[in-house]
Amino acid sequence: MPPTQATTPRKRLGTVTAEVVEAGTPERRSSTANREERRTAYLMLAPMVVLLGIFVIWPLVYAFKQSMYQGNFYKAPVFVGLSFYKYVLTDPGFYQSLKVGGYYAVIVVPGGMLIALLLASFIKTLGARMASFMKTTVYLPTVVSAVIASVLFRLIYADQGLANWLLGLVNLGPKNFLGNASMVIPAVAVPGIWLGLGITTLIMLAGLLDIPESYLESAQLDGAGFLQRTWYITLPLLKNVLLYLFVTGLVAAFQEFLLPLLIANGGPVNASTTPNLYIFNQFRSATPYAMTFSITASLVLFIVLGTISALVFRLIRSEKAVDA
Amino acid sequence: MRRGKGLTALTLAVAGAVTLAACGTGSSGGSGTTAASGGGVGTACASPTTVTFWQQKFEDYQQAWYKKYVDQFNSSQTCVKVDYKVVPADTWTQKLQAAQAAGNQPDVVTTNYGNIKPGVAQGQFAALDDYLPASALADIKSNVAPFVTEKGKHWGYPMLVEPSAVLYINSDMAKAAGLDPASPPKSWKDLVDWSTKLTSGNVKGITIASVAAELGWSSWGLQDNSCGHFPITDDWASGRATDSCFADVVNLYKTLYQNKLMPQNPKVGYTDAAPFESGEVAMMVNGSWALGAIKKDKPDLLAKTVVAALPTKDGGTGETTATLGGWTLTLDAKSKHPKEAAAFISYLAAGDPSIMADFFKQAGYSKYTTRTSVDKAIAANDPSTTQDANMKTISDDIVAHGIAEPAYPWDISLAMGTAIESGMKGTASVDAALKTANDSINSTIQKQQLKGTAPQS
Amino acid sequence: MVRSRRSLAAKWVLLVLIALSMLMPLAWMALCGFKRDLDVLKTPFAVLPQVWEWHNYTAMLHDRQYMTAVGLTMLGAVIFTGLSIAVNALAAYAFARLEFPYKRVLWVLCIMPMFVPAMSILITSFVVVSKLHMLNTLAVLIIPGVASAAQMFFMRQFFLGMPTAVEDAARIDGCSRWRIFLKIFVPNSGAVFVVVGIISYMAYWNAYVWPILTISNPTLQQIMPVLANFLDDRGPQYGQLMAASTLAALPTIVLLLVFQRHIVAGVRLSGIK
Repeated sequence: MPPTQATTPRKRLGTVTAEVVEAGTPERRSSTANREERRTAYLMLAPMVVLLGIFVIWPLVYAFKQSMYQGNFYKAPVFVGLSFYKYVLTDPGFYQSLKVGGYYAVIVVPGGMLIALLLASFIKTLGARMASFMKTTVYLPTVVSAVIASVLFRLIYADQGLANWLLGLVNLGPKNFLGNASMVIPAVAVPGIWLGLGITTLIMLAGLLDIPESYLESAQLDGAGFLQRTWYITLPLLKNVLLYLFVTGLVAAFQEFLLPLLIANGGPVNASTTPNLYIFNQFRSATPYAMTFSITASLVLFIVLGTISALVFRLIRSEKAVDA
Repeated sequence: MRRGKGLTALTLAVAGAVTLAACGTGSSGGSGTTAASGGGVGTACASPTTVTFWQQKFEDYQQAWYKKYVDQFNSSQTCVKVDYKVVPADTWTQKLQAAQAAGNQPDVVTTNYGNIKPGVAQGQFAALDDYLPASALADIKSNVAPFVTEKGKHWGYPMLVEPSAVLYINSDMAKAAGLDPASPPKSWKDLVDWSTKLTSGNVKGITIASVAAELGWSSWGLQDNSCGHFPITDDWASGRATDSCFADVVNLYKTLYQNKLMPQNPKVGYTDAAPFESGEVAMMVNGSWALGAIKKDKPDLLAKTVVAALPTKDGGTGETTATLGGWTLTLDAKSKHPKEAAAFISYLAAGDPSIMADFFKQAGYSKYTTRTSVDKAIAANDPSTTQDANMKTISDDIVAHGIAEPAYPWDISLAMGTAIESGMKGTASVDAALKTANDSINSTIQKQQLKGTAPQS
Repeated sequence: MVRSRRSLAAKWVLLVLIALSMLMPLAWMALCGFKRDLDVLKTPFAVLPQVWEWHNYTAMLHDRQYMTAVGLTMLGAVIFTGLSIAVNALAAYAFARLEFPYKRVLWVLCIMPMFVPAMSILITSFVVVSKLHMLNTLAVLIIPGVASAAQMFFMRQFFLGMPTAVEDAARIDGCSRWRIFLKIFVPNSGAVFVVVGIISYMAYWNAYVWPILTISNPTLQQIMPVLANFLDDRGPQYGQLMAASTLAALPTIVLLLVFQRHIVAGVRLSGIK
């Protein structure tokens, strides 16, 4: 077996690992927060809170206000109360777009995380030189923009494109990738996964290198295979990283709109119209109605995403409570 | 009132150029320019008033043309300085609305015909009649004037028209398939026949829009041809998408798609001529602008390209099969310097006809004029243009019968686009797809309170 | 012996396969930069250009607007990345390690922006920066995005995993929280900062709508709006687009290669020993 890069001297492992496991719950360990510490905390938070306050919260509050008025900036706006929320919530197109966004996220997030985990596990087993080469290749595609990736994948999925050419070699005949409602989302998900893979793999690898080698070695001595080690040791210890990747991945995937717009133009028949693409399409008319509607729809999307994420957080936390 | 004098002089100079050109017998190009710049020399202001102008980004030559004449305008006088900005189409609405919300919207923008009447209803534009000389307004062709007129006033100065659907035929391929490009398909049945005969192997017979967002606007002409009206009653009180004539439109697209006479996974969008240029399709439905693209990308293909009006349902000639899209310059209702802004509009679009004539020349004559005087200037400067068969076809057979884009909100067009796509790709029966569209149109009418708000033109 | 050699060979095969599939699109982009517009669209796939259009690349090198945009966007991205790491790391540390009243409320407040769709606050954000007289400055491109809930969340997750022993010892020695943050957390977070830095840098680099909205001064043009000049729905200049995108990516690739050491060196995320 080639040497792994992160072999920590065995001696120290005992103490370090105990702390790694324990460190997840700092709240419980120090309840003696003194005034000094409070002041420090607020000072440290101040830049973040001030910036978010000015550039997110203020515009957000303002947007909620806008969602209750219909009007352009030439005539006095008309107060419409919550009626645009009703319009959004009774629009079948909006629900359809949420379904599309959910379907896309369900493919891209777990799919991307799984591939990244396999890649990262593979890199971890490599020698230093191979590993450094591999890391470089994995994150270099990050520099390719979504626009370029869209041009490429539209060509790959074309009638005589690469994908159909490959299928033709094995006699699986031409497939209508972008014209078929059941195939378009998986087709768009491929570049979606590919674009995010580099950074996800790096994060995953960083998490993997954190897992004390002794855990895995002793499990290996007990005869646990790769899958068992991953399932029982790696994944639970990666929980912090996985939670981050899952929540941010979900939020980003739900909001994806460039890839479906540029590759399939939301088609066929809205099968790839994600929530943000749906909102973008509303925005094409410059009417006051369209403006209030698109703001309201994206605020509803905000509430949906916030709720889903809150549920994820709660789920993870309750699981943790069971663990402890 | 510090700038009053200079401005009057400027307006006069511009108006002078217009009159001169309108009366000129054709060689007005050169002298018109002299008059305009000559007027500028005489107009001196201590400090210029800045007027902002946003142009929606299109083909490269358009940006080059705008830049050239904005610079020329700025250096021709010292009273008005135009601050010119190109805005990509995909961010246009957001940028404009953001600027309007913050109160720093531009004085002059490019506005398409479809947005004129909704904009007037919202009080977004200033009427140009108060600022432009009457002769400039009288110069607008009578078939275009209604596009920008509402309540008896002009709300935008039209620059160009371009039909949104034209049929392009690769004559070599047609001949090879035993078809005569000199007598192009007349009816929808012919179109399907041609497409079938022209489809062989990897080469498809035709390419046409196939996604809702593109079908929404590119099928307007066919909708009108089949039904004589759009899928909404004249007073915008209720939808009429379930009229059987709309099913005919859907069925045309459906046949082309289901019989695989067109690409199933197109590489580019409707507005891009690439598949036709590279010989992957024998016929193409595209806007008139595609002619300009072919001239630029594949000049040798141009001689082999035959242009025809999109066929009509029953093969009749002289009917509408295309809407006329196009662009105008509008003056913002809240502009702080309406006179100065109008002077610029006047200079660029309504003044010396050789300026607009140069635009059409740069466009490879793939767009069409809106002013009588510009036609004359083109005929004088570029006599060959009157002999070009394709251009003649577009202007005589298509532009002459073209109608204005509908003024109703985009949601209604998108609902129809979705119905066509749904029918052609078979995700719903044609009738069910149109029923869905009709429900959606009625819901739009109700939510946006459209009943009785149709502009009278 | 034989077995390990065989497994090494298998690893190399796998490695090359992965590398090819990851790098193929990058190579495709660079090669398309040498193609004529219509040749870019050739199917199924033409690897090499039929005609080598060196002009696509050389034209970009002589395009001053483009070169300025590349330089300026890099500059902005570097400043943005530095500020972003500083602001978010401080907040992340406070949330991971300190106890203070209203922690939960503040946590929700700071994490919530992660779920705000950019489109919902696009117009109102513009009004805000316009009221603050920030339009047409480098600041309007950098400042509004510096505080990032996702980045803060990421760093907090890793700070949570750091062992507390050294910290506790330092506390007993009378070290202040600031000192602990600067002397213990910052030096040991190299890998975290590199990862977060890449994300921030690319986020700034890829910004498209925001610069278009807020910048009308041609000297402050950012790279994505400039690249978008080659895209127009009536005949995109694919060759130029690919060449310009490839050239624009080069400095970033160099930057990634420089910082790669910090990841490859095997700095562990919670490497306090």
